Amino acid sequence: MKNISGESFEIRMEEPLTVFFKGALRLSGADEYLPILEMLKETLVNPAEPIVLDLRELDFLNSSGITMFSRFVIEARDRTGVNLHFLASESIPWHARSLKNLQRLMPALEIRLG
Amino acid sequence: MTSQILGDNEQRPGEQCEYLMLEFSPLSAPLQSRWRNNGLSADFLGDYVTTFLPANRDIAASGRRQNEIRHAVTYIANELLENAMKYHQRGINIPIGIRLELSADNITVTVSNGVGFDGAQSYKSYVEGVLKEDPNDLLVRQLENSSAKEDSTKSCVGLLTMVNDYGAKLGWRFEVNAEHSETMTVTTRAVLHFEHYPGEAA
Repeated sequence: MKNISGESFEIRMEEPLTVFFKGALRLSGADEYLPILEMLKETLVNPAEPIVLDLRELDFLNSSGITMFSRFVIEARDRTGVNLHFLASESIPWHARSLKNLQRLMPALEIRLG
Repeated sequence: MTSQILGDNEQRPGEQCEYLMLEFSPLSAPLQSRWRNNGLSADFLGDYVTTFLPANRDIAASGRRQNEIRHAVTYIANELLENAMKYHQRGINIPIGIRLELSADNITVTVSNGVGFDGAQSYKSYVEGVLKEDPNDLLVRQLENSSAKEDSTKSCVGLLTMVNDYGAKLGWRFEVNAEHSETMTVTTRAVLHFEHYPGEAA
């Protein structure tokens, strides 16, 4: 299990391949998001397994964070056979508003809005 | 020319509205140590707005609408403050300001900061490019291109998500600063119309 956390957020990777996000991510740019992106890329080593990003407790994400998720989604798209799911929440407004942009980058991305 | 306006410019002088203003002195602390202030201020503005959007009658629907508007204000205020803090001209005593206005049918978030002439010119060129394109196509293209670049801070994904994901109307004013003639004041304004947030009126 791997963790990255800060004052306002916590990210936890568990088996089977699920990454949980919690809190508010407002890091200042690509450099600060790099360790998170690197951790997400580790999930792509075995494309046979489904990958789940659980965002249901991620209340806030700034645009640099949206860019970081875009980079990950593009990496996933460009490898064959990756099965990627995002778990989202109807009660967190940015999920319905912004995750659809990631789906335009990767039409096979499955977003479960619960 | 000392002043130029781009984008949405629906001024309605004399209209009565609630407003709140915050100003940050630019000289007191390095960017990194004050970064968290962006989030604190943006959360405060989002929460402040809910005072004027009471959740009542159909509790579930109005509560949802209140939550949507609170989040939209927080997101927009946070993005505009992040940009202002990043691009503000260093070493010059022009405050970074944020203003929130509530009128009967919209909420306006306005942020201003100082920037050198070259910086203002490149921002202005970018804005002119944005105004010519479909924001959704441009946003997806910027997200796609950002994967190939190391630094994404200039991709303006923040501005494009405000328009595309939150229905904000954006406008800009560039003017020579009255006290520092070698510096421009850039004012970015985002207007959220309540009609994009259906539900009971405030």
